[in-house]
Amino acid sequence: MSTREFRMNCSEAAPLLVFLACDEVTAQEREALEAHLADCDDCRCLLAEEDAFQECAVTLSQAADELDRSGTLLAQCRSELAESLDEMAVPAEPRRWQPFGFMRRWMALRPGWSAAGLLAAGAILGVQLLQWLPSDSGLRGTAMPVSAAPRVSDDQLAKMAVSGINFAPSADAAPGTLQVQLRAEQPVVLSGSLDDVDVRRVLTYVVRNSDRFDAGVRLDCLDALRSRIHDAEIRGALLDAARRDENPAVRMKALEALREVAGEEDVRDALLQSLNRDANPGVRVEAVNLLVRSLELESVHQMPVAPEAPEAPDSDMPMVAPTAPVAIAAGRPSVVRVVRALEDLQHNDPNRYVRLRSAAALRQIGPPDVQ
Amino acid sequence: MADNAGRSGGPDAVLTTVISLPELDERSLVIEAQAGNRAAFEELVRRFDRDVLRLALNLMKRPEDARDVYQEAFLKVYRNLHRFRFECSFYTWLYRIVTNVCLDHLRRRQARPEDQAPEIHVNRQEEGTRDFFEFQREHRPALDPERRLMGKEIRTRIALAMERLSPRERVVFEMKHYQGLKLRAIGDALGTTEETVKNSLFRATRKLRQELGELR
Repeated sequence: MSTREFRMNCSEAAPLLVFLACDEVTAQEREALEAHLADCDDCRCLLAEEDAFQECAVTLSQAADELDRSGTLLAQCRSELAESLDEMAVPAEPRRWQPFGFMRRWMALRPGWSAAGLLAAGAILGVQLLQWLPSDSGLRGTAMPVSAAPRVSDDQLAKMAVSGINFAPSADAAPGTLQVQLRAEQPVVLSGSLDDVDVRRVLTYVVRNSDRFDAGVRLDCLDALRSRIHDAEIRGALLDAARRDENPAVRMKALEALREVAGEEDVRDALLQSLNRDANPGVRVEAVNLLVRSLELESVHQMPVAPEAPEAPDSDMPMVAPTAPVAIAAGRPSVVRVVRALEDLQHNDPNRYVRLRSAAALRQIGPPDVQ
Repeated sequence: MADNAGRSGGPDAVLTTVISLPELDERSLVIEAQAGNRAAFEELVRRFDRDVLRLALNLMKRPEDARDVYQEAFLKVYRNLHRFRFECSFYTWLYRIVTNVCLDHLRRRQARPEDQAPEIHVNRQEEGTRDFFEFQREHRPALDPERRLMGKEIRTRIALAMERLSPRERVVFEMKHYQGLKLRAIGDALGTTEETVKNSLFRATRKLRQELGELR
C-alpha cells in the first residue's frame, strides 16, 4: 500500500503516534504516518508531546537505580538463592510409612468424635461382618459331637413350647443337623444333631409329654428320633409314646419307628401291650405287623436260608411284605407269647380287620402245630 | 557449590570438559543445567538475574518484594528446567516466569490494600494546575538545580501514576520502556499476542499522560 493509495486522517494517525514514538510501527504504518504528519501540524504537535513524554519517562531514574545502587540487594538475592538450592539438594529424609497417618492426626485432635466414631464402626462391623464372611471360613464348621452340660434347664423344659422343628436349617449344614425353635421366657433356637445333649433332651421330653405339645410337633420329634433307635434314652421315649401317647397317629408312628428293633424284648413287650390294650385298631394292626416282623428278624438270625413265602390266603388283606413262613421253635417263650396274643386277637378283637390280620399273621408265622 | 567442569549429561555436556562454563552459550548451559549441573544453573542465574531483579524492583518498588520475586522466580526455573524444550529462548522463558510471579505479587497487593506501598505525598494543589510538560521546558544542563528539582517532582508523579495502572499495564510499560524489549518479546514473555501487548501499552500511556497533566 502506498501513500498515494491510502492517506491517513488525524483520527487514524493519533492512536499510532504512541507506537511511532517508541518505534513499534510497521513499515507501511510509518510511511503512512510520515505522509500524514508532513501535512498535519496538530498531529506533529501530538507526536512531539509523545516523544517528550517517553523521553522523560525513559530518562527518569528508576526504582531499581535507587533501591539497589550498590548491588547489595543483588548479592543478597544470589546468596539466598544459593542457600535455597542447597536445601533443595539435600535429600529429604525418607518418611517412615505411617498407615492411616492422616486419620491418626485427625483423631488425636478430636478425641470425642474419634471415640464415638470407633464405637459406631465397631458396632457396624460386629453386626455386619459375619454375614459377609464365606460360609466355609471355619467359623461355621461341622458340629462336633461333644458332651457338655445341658444348657436347657429342667425348669425351662417344663415351661417351654416348641414352635417348630427344621430338619434342614441350611444348605450347608451338616447331615443330621436339626433346628428346634423353642418358645420359653425368651425364644431359643437349638441347632445341632441328635448328639447334642440339649437337642436330644428336648425331643425326648416332647415325646414323653404328649399332654403339653401339639401332635404334629410330637410326630416331627419321632421322625427326628427314629434314626437313633438304638440309643436307650431315645428308645425309652419311643416306647413310652407307643404305649401312652393320647394320639393314635403318634402311637402308630412310634411303633413304626421301633420297626428295626422289633425283635428285642422290651420292644416286643410294648407291641404285645399295644396289641392287648390299644383302643385304636390301626395301632393294633401295626403292632401285629411288627410282631410278625420281630419273629422274622429272630428267624433270620437263626436260619440263614429261608424258604420262599406262600401266597397270602386273603387277597384283600393289607399284607406285610411277602416273607417266608417263619420257622420258629415253638417252644421259645417269646414266640409262644406272640402266638397266644395273636390267637386271642384273632378270636376276641372287636375289630374284624384286626381279627383277619391276626389270622393272616398266624398263618404267616408258620407251623400248623403252633396254630 | 558444584564444580565448574560440570558433569556428563546430554551430548553437549562433553563440551564442558574443555570449555569453562562462562564461555558456554545459553543453550549449552541450559542443557548442562538440565542434566543436573548446579554450576551451569548458577551461571545461567548470573547471566540474567541482574535484569530480573531490576524488573522486579521497578515493578514492586519495594526491595523486600523484589527479593521475594527473585527467589520465587529462580526457584521455579530450577524446579521446572527439565520441562524447557527450547521452543523459545531461555531468556523469554525466564521472563515469562518472572513476569508471572510479578503479576501474582501485584495482584495480591491490589487485593490487600494494607500491603500496598506507602503513599508518596505530593502537592495535590500544584498537581491539578500545572502541566506536566511545563517541567520539561528547560533542558539546559546549566540549570541543574532547577532541573533536578523538577525531575524529582516528575519522578514522584510518575511513580504515583504507575501505581494506578493495572498490573499487566505496568509490566508492559516497564518492559517496553525500562527493559527495552520489543512488543513481540513482551508478548512471548507474557504468553500473549503482540496485539494484546500493544493495547496494554496504549492504555498505560494514555493513563499516565492523563495522570500527569492535561495533554490535549
